[in-house]
Amino acid sequence: MENWESEVEQNPQQGASAPGDGAKPEAKPRREASDGRDLYLNVRVLVVMMSLFVLMFTFVARIIVVSGPSMENTLHGGDLILVWSLGYVPKQGDIVVLTQESYQEDSIVKRVIATEGQHVYVDYVRNTVYVDGKPLEEDYTKEQMFLPAWGEGVNNVVVPEGCIFVMGDNRNHSADSRFPDIGIVDIRCVIGRGMAVMFPFNRWKGL
Amino acid sequence: MERLSKNLSARTLWLLFALAAGFVCAALRRWQLASAFEEGTGLAVPGAQASVILTCVLVMSAAWFVILSMRQPMSSPPCAAGQARRWDLVFLDAGDPVYPISVVVAAFLAAASAPALLPTGISQWQDYQKARAALAQGLSVQLPSNNGALTIATAAGALLAFLGLLQMGRDGLHPGRRGKGGFSAALPGVAGCIWLMESFRAHAANPVQWDYAPLLLAIMSGMMFYMDFAGISAGAARPRRLLWLAAMTLVLSAVALVSAICDKAWADALLLLSQSLTAAAVLWRLPPNLEHPPKPRQIPGSKPGRTPTIQEEPTDE
Repeated sequence: MENWESEVEQNPQQGASAPGDGAKPEAKPRREASDGRDLYLNVRVLVVMMSLFVLMFTFVARIIVVSGPSMENTLHGGDLILVWSLGYVPKQGDIVVLTQESYQEDSIVKRVIATEGQHVYVDYVRNTVYVDGKPLEEDYTKEQMFLPAWGEGVNNVVVPEGCIFVMGDNRNHSADSRFPDIGIVDIRCVIGRGMAVMFPFNRWKGL
Repeated sequence: MERLSKNLSARTLWLLFALAAGFVCAALRRWQLASAFEEGTGLAVPGAQASVILTCVLVMSAAWFVILSMRQPMSSPPCAAGQARRWDLVFLDAGDPVYPISVVVAAFLAAASAPALLPTGISQWQDYQKARAALAQGLSVQLPSNNGALTIATAAGALLAFLGLLQMGRDGLHPGRRGKGGFSAALPGVAGCIWLMESFRAHAANPVQWDYAPLLLAIMSGMMFYMDFAGISAGAARPRRLLWLAAMTLVLSAVALVSAICDKAWADALLLLSQSLTAAAVLWRLPPNLEHPPKPRQIPGSKPGRTPTIQEEPTDE
């Protein structure tokens, strides 16, 4: 075995005590090496934590900021919500975060009204949404629904395979599946399910 | 001569497998980009052959490099805490120009990404400020989601990486100065953190994970690789893990590089090339030196039998 240690490292206690004084030799402080190592370890913790956070945000769960009034009164602009992505399959009634690039590059937050194979009919006269002929009981909507400015849009449709029909809880101020630029949403556009409001703390709740 | 042939075999093994895996994965990524995404929407085709094969090859490469690193012969056990300088010798090779030249070229590649990033960041910042001003005046304007701050910070990080890599190359050119591993390797590692945040922010709203996951994994691998590199000089040497991370950085960067070139993301491409080149340089120098560590030479005029310290090591340059 070749010797490839420096002298200093081989004899760390050399010169720490006078020869022949009988006292137990004290280790010479190696402050420089220790400080460097501590600094390195701290930086490494930062790098590892950063990597773990980004891995978690990419594949497991992330936190997003709600923008706009379309989900009032369930969610408000500026709310921070926890979004679960790993293995999520959209279900009726879930609040989902999705991106529809035909509408905008940023993600949007909506509620799933119907999933594949279900028939959706939005009746503006009766202020009711029918799924497979049955009226939905929607205690989460903000106010009575009126006919939007763009007309009825997509209001009577069977949801194709692999797609969902989404709407905002604030029906009169929400661009959702009724709006032709958004329309029926492919489930591959869904980033995840909104699990809880994380901030502000006074509005903390599960979704 | 015998040592040269041994060194060559250790180098050849690591570099050959890493470059071959990188080339295969890059080709698979090219195939995936051509066939595994729907035209128009850009959404991933579920169960696409190219995606499945690419995933399998990446996992197999990772496993193979674990085996290679476990079988990597080392002439000394890992050092104890506090013996920081002992492992510095694994980067000592005064007559070998490949390592320092590669690392210096990598430094300039990292620096070259800054001019590509900075104008974009400044333009984003100005657009954001204009939108804010318009909002303050009561106009109906959509505030851009990106204020450009992270892009500007990434450009600054690229310059930081340049300095760190330059110092690493300098250490390789002048053996005997300080640590051969170089704590300066932590600088590109930290710069990687900013680059990672910027890359994640840029793709956070993208539901197609295949679009950006290879880039994020390549950056993470590069960050960890640089940190392990720095650990060599900080009493926390993990030479086998460093070898594995270097090989994986090379492979993952090759995958991400294909997407960066297709998307004309030149700043990402330059940074990926930079970390690939450094990883290749480490794979060039580290394996043979772990097996046959270079012996410090006697300083002319010193007492016979005394082993010179690394600080006293003479230089050929």
